[in-house]
Amino acid sequence: MAWIAERRHRSRFESVVLPHLDAAYALARWLTRNDADAADVVQEAVLRAFRYFDTYREGDAKSWLLRIVRRTCYTWLERNRPADVVPLEAEGGLDDGAEGVPQAAGNAEALLQSRSDLRRLDALVEALPAPLREVIVLRELHELGYREIAEVTGVPIGTVMSRLHRARSALRRAWDGKDIDDAV
Amino acid sequence: MMRCDEIRPRLHAYVDGETAEPERVLVREHLAECPECGPEAAALERLSDGIRQAAPVYRAPEALRARIRAALRAEATASAPVARPAPGWLAYAAAILLAVALGSGGTLLITGEGQEDAAANQLIDSHLRSLLGNHLTDVASSDQHTVKPWFAGRSEVSPPAVDLAGEGFPLVGGRLDVIAGKPAPALVYRRREHVINVFVLPTSRGDLGATLTRRGYTLRHWNEGDLGFWAVTDAAPSELAELERVFRAATKG
Repeated sequence: MAWIAERRHRSRFESVVLPHLDAAYALARWLTRNDADAADVVQEAVLRAFRYFDTYREGDAKSWLLRIVRRTCYTWLERNRPADVVPLEAEGGLDDGAEGVPQAAGNAEALLQSRSDLRRLDALVEALPAPLREVIVLRELHELGYREIAEVTGVPIGTVMSRLHRARSALRRAWDGKDIDDAV
Repeated sequence: MMRCDEIRPRLHAYVDGETAEPERVLVREHLAECPECGPEAAALERLSDGIRQAAPVYRAPEALRARIRAALRAEATASAPVARPAPGWLAYAAAILLAVALGSGGTLLITGEGQEDAAANQLIDSHLRSLLGNHLTDVASSDQHTVKPWFAGRSEVSPPAVDLAGEGFPLVGGRLDVIAGKPAPALVYRRREHVINVFVLPTSRGDLGATLTRRGYTLRHWNEGDLGFWAVTDAAPSELAELERVFRAATKG
């Protein structure tokens, strides 16, 4: 009967997706920088994932979900905080080319240097423009490999590498000016 | 031996564990000896460690999990993911009524044995699910003026949520389940240590007042006006007869 199929479908979805809800929330929290917004975005993303669950193929559920969460975050940011998703200036990657993502904020390095309230490393990460912030979060906190990060963010691996490089350089330069105990 | 200008572009990948084996050895050898690249790699590792230590650990709040589960149930109801249409209320109710007839010694009619068990099982499953984890109620309140309005707009029927604490059946709250692909309100009562779910569905036939036992659980059905009530519990069958009596008395007029 249909209700049995419906229940089976939903419980399969829940068993695939809900184990990664913490990871989804963490990514949304880093991208929206706000608890309530992160919760709204995650709920919307999970419902979206449920609607497109037919397109999910057995494999890496975490990357699949994070990709949807990230997309939902950007849509939300574009609508509510467009200043957060201004294009990254002068992005050079090994195999850059097709750039479908919103890219952020002019000069990341100058931005970090110019703010005096960034005494802690997590605050520095939070101040990075979104495309740099997300690669740091996905790599250091979600512990994804380059290929998975490329899948989640929808850019080539070369772009992932150049963004990581750039994000770390910016963080280090900003961080070097502080006392380590202060920064961490 | 690799040169520094060959090492530098590979340093991040090396620190991130993304370097394949033959190259990995070469980079490691270089780092061990080079006074500039070695500290550079160490600095990158310190940065990674620093970020991990400094970053707050964000976890999805419990309230968000609950919200998502409720939203999924509603979503699944709104758009059945399977192509087959959900069975109509009449077909569904007929299956249940057959099950009840069977339980009260009536004759097994047209349908096979599978169907009425499926119907009874559906209610028992919903009952069991409500006891697992933290999802007994969507709205926890013994106040009927809180519980009844909560259902408004969430389901097709509006259940009379009466508190029967005075009669030994305190109202715990309300919950929205999906039964036969439709949102179905459940009123949750307690009888001593037992939980009783009263599912409220549109009625389709006359009053049966019958009790059915399946898998160690008791089901009892009654109709009132255009609503059908299906109580499920692991308490004794006589408790449900009593619940029906006091529930009817409280909702009359």
